[in-house]
Amino acid sequence: MASLTASSLSFSSVSCSFKPNQVSNLRKASLSFSGKGFPSHRMPALRFRVACAAKPETVNKVVEIVKKQLALPEDRDVNGESKFATLGADSLDTVEIVMGLEEEFGISVEEESAQSITTVQEAADMIEKLLEKK
Amino acid sequence: MALKLNASNFQYPKCASFALPPVATIRSPKFFMASTLRSGSKEVDTVKKPFSPPREVHVQVTHSMPPQKIEIFKAMEDWAENNILVHLKPVEKCWQPQDFLPDPASDGFYDQVKELRERAREIPDDYFVVLVGDMITEEALPTYQTMLNTLDGVRDETGASPTSWAIWTRAWTAEENRHGDLLNKYLYLSGRVDMKQIEKTIQYLIGSGMDPRTENNPYLGFIYTSFQERATFISHGNTARLAREHGDLKLAQICGTIASDEKRHETAYTKIVEKLFEIDPDGTVLAFADMMRKKISMPAHLMYDGHDDNLFDHFSAVAQRLGVYTARDYADILEHLVGRWKVENLTGLSAEGQKAQDYVCGLPPRIRRLEERAQGRARAKEVPRIPFSWIYDREVQL
Repeated sequence: MASLTASSLSFSSVSCSFKPNQVSNLRKASLSFSGKGFPSHRMPALRFRVACAAKPETVNKVVEIVKKQLALPEDRDVNGESKFATLGADSLDTVEIVMGLEEEFGISVEEESAQSITTVQEAADMIEKLLEKK
Repeated sequence: MALKLNASNFQYPKCASFALPPVATIRSPKFFMASTLRSGSKEVDTVKKPFSPPREVHVQVTHSMPPQKIEIFKAMEDWAENNILVHLKPVEKCWQPQDFLPDPASDGFYDQVKELRERAREIPDDYFVVLVGDMITEEALPTYQTMLNTLDGVRDETGASPTSWAIWTRAWTAEENRHGDLLNKYLYLSGRVDMKQIEKTIQYLIGSGMDPRTENNPYLGFIYTSFQERATFISHGNTARLAREHGDLKLAQICGTIASDEKRHETAYTKIVEKLFEIDPDGTVLAFADMMRKKISMPAHLMYDGHDDNLFDHFSAVAQRLGVYTARDYADILEHLVGRWKVENLTGLSAEGQKAQDYVCGLPPRIRRLEERAQGRARAKEVPRIPFSWIYDREVQL
């Protein structure tokens, strides 16, 4: 009886930008199967090129921190595409937002990465990348 | 608001200057400097010219003060005569560089020079890097007199204008002129530094000028100078202290004397701004917030010696490490001025004015927090030693 065991799965999220209504959950993965009772043949590793989004919870947390830093009203629409500069953040605000994200997620952001973040989505993606490295 | 945009280059800085400094200059208060551009990196493709000093990258704004406010400064001239000019010292009572240097007319001249050089030998290279940077800054005095004379309402219209403001500017320049002269002669005699490289740096720097973003606006201008005079007072005070620690009491006296001039100048400029807060609290608090948002750029931030494209960053990293002038000092100066001008107690402000008031009052702790974070990271990083042409390419720890 064939049983499929996904014996190795590797996920890595790739930093990317996407259109807001696109839900893509493709992850870069390699799968190998081994069947019991069948001559074991390995399928070639399948690799999918991935477009991937940071989890909504992460994006929401970033939005929360950004709204707090910039003292924006609760009902103000802030989403993944929102640019810090458009929201009124100056350079000091941006650094403080990054510091807030470091505290919230227990990560440490390199100066070079911190300088390249301009939108909520970029921040969320960077956070998830750093969390995976941990 | 009459705004003549005089953009010599439409480059917007990609990296906000509050970004944490790169590894090499991790200790420097780089984030407090105006952004600069090397001529190789324009949008229009140009071959990078050799020996290209940095240029200001922000759009240069002019005449941002509404012309009717010029009246305020005309009306202040009598007050300035009685309250500001009194902070000048009569020339007959002033020290001169010769007071602190070997006397060429004396038989003991050679011995005095020998002693000066012996003392200087005991002082480490990193101290000299900072002293040289300070001296170069002082020697760029033409730029600062120019800057004062760009200000509407207070400029010296003829070069010999009898207005109180013009008298102040010329006399201030005359007092400051002694600082560069004294440090120049000391460094020349010391034998510890490459005078030609230093002189080259000065020539580049005066050629570069600076735009502190004061926009011909005396509100912005006098807030800027208040900050700067206090910064130089702190800086020269620290070099004096360090000279004493290295056993050179004469050098300590030199730096200390310069520092006391700066203190007198700080008193004068802060008094002017205090008066402006009285006359026009809303306009002045808006100006204060504006200058702080733009960040107080250091006068010598465009310095270049023909070799090091990041000369100012490197110099200020050393100054930070030695504790001569640090990001902490920047926050302390801001906090001091907020207190000195009683910004917290201002009333009757417009909505914009209140926002400015909140911004300025809340800024010092934010800067300190940023600085703590940067310092925490700096400790973890490998900090390089780099050569300085001012000391014959000997290396110094940043």
